[in-house]
Amino acid sequence: MRNEMTLSFVAIEENEALARMAMTCFITPLDPTLEEISEFKTIVSEAVTNAIIHGYESDGQSMVTIHALIDDNKVTMTVEDKGGGIFDVQQAMEPMFTTKPLMERSGMGFTIMESFSDKLSVESSIGNGTVVRFEKTFSPVTEASRMR
Amino acid sequence: MADIKQMDSIVVVTLAGELDNLEANRIRSTISSSIFTRKVSGIVWDLSRLGFMDSAGIGLILGRMRDLAPFNGETLILNPSPTMEKIFNFSGLGSNIRHGTVNSVIGEIGGVLHEK
Repeated sequence: MRNEMTLSFVAIEENEALARMAMTCFITPLDPTLEEISEFKTIVSEAVTNAIIHGYESDGQSMVTIHALIDDNKVTMTVEDKGGGIFDVQQAMEPMFTTKPLMERSGMGFTIMESFSDKLSVESSIGNGTVVRFEKTFSPVTEASRMR
Repeated sequence: MADIKQMDSIVVVTLAGELDNLEANRIRSTISSSIFTRKVSGIVWDLSRLGFMDSAGIGLILGRMRDLAPFNGETLILNPSPTMEKIFNFSGLGSNIRHGTVNSVIGEIGGVLHEK
């Protein structure tokens, strides 16, 4: 199967749930397991939260854009903001690193995104924004393994 | 949604629905004040009914562990989903996870208390 979509929304925290729901619906035809769905949902949530609260400081005006492509059973997704950008991508990806400790951000977002996807890359530049790109292949499940 | 109950000196927080950044910000102060307004020896996070959690849940739980640190309060995480369990393990909270009923876990915190 081949399918493609783009979703844009303003940077308010309420839209984290919208993004999770829309992206979960988009991958449903791939017949993912419950655990694959919840891992994918977590990836979407982490990337979109980063764009909203770090990229745009929840400004309620700027747009976050998700683009996703299904090619056979592989999903490629980008989450893009035109916000502040990440000062040091390598440092941002370290477990427990956060620029917002007072907001109780755990600094685990990128660790989770890396672990729950097959491939992750981050492009960012100060003042121009950030694009996070994911790849995840969903393995078709047989009825037998579904019963377990 | 967070339902907060006090059982002896233990606070039991039962979470339902989806715990993301927005929800964590909504419930944080209520949970914090339930810790600070009385003598608390531990907190149990019952996640049996929680449908989704991202790293905001880690921030929320680590934050309350800091609240409890002055009283040497215990933190136990009850019945997370397999995906949540992975997230807790990445974050070094794997040893706080239990599977079972609230009552069995409360016994554990009580037991630790009696030894002190």
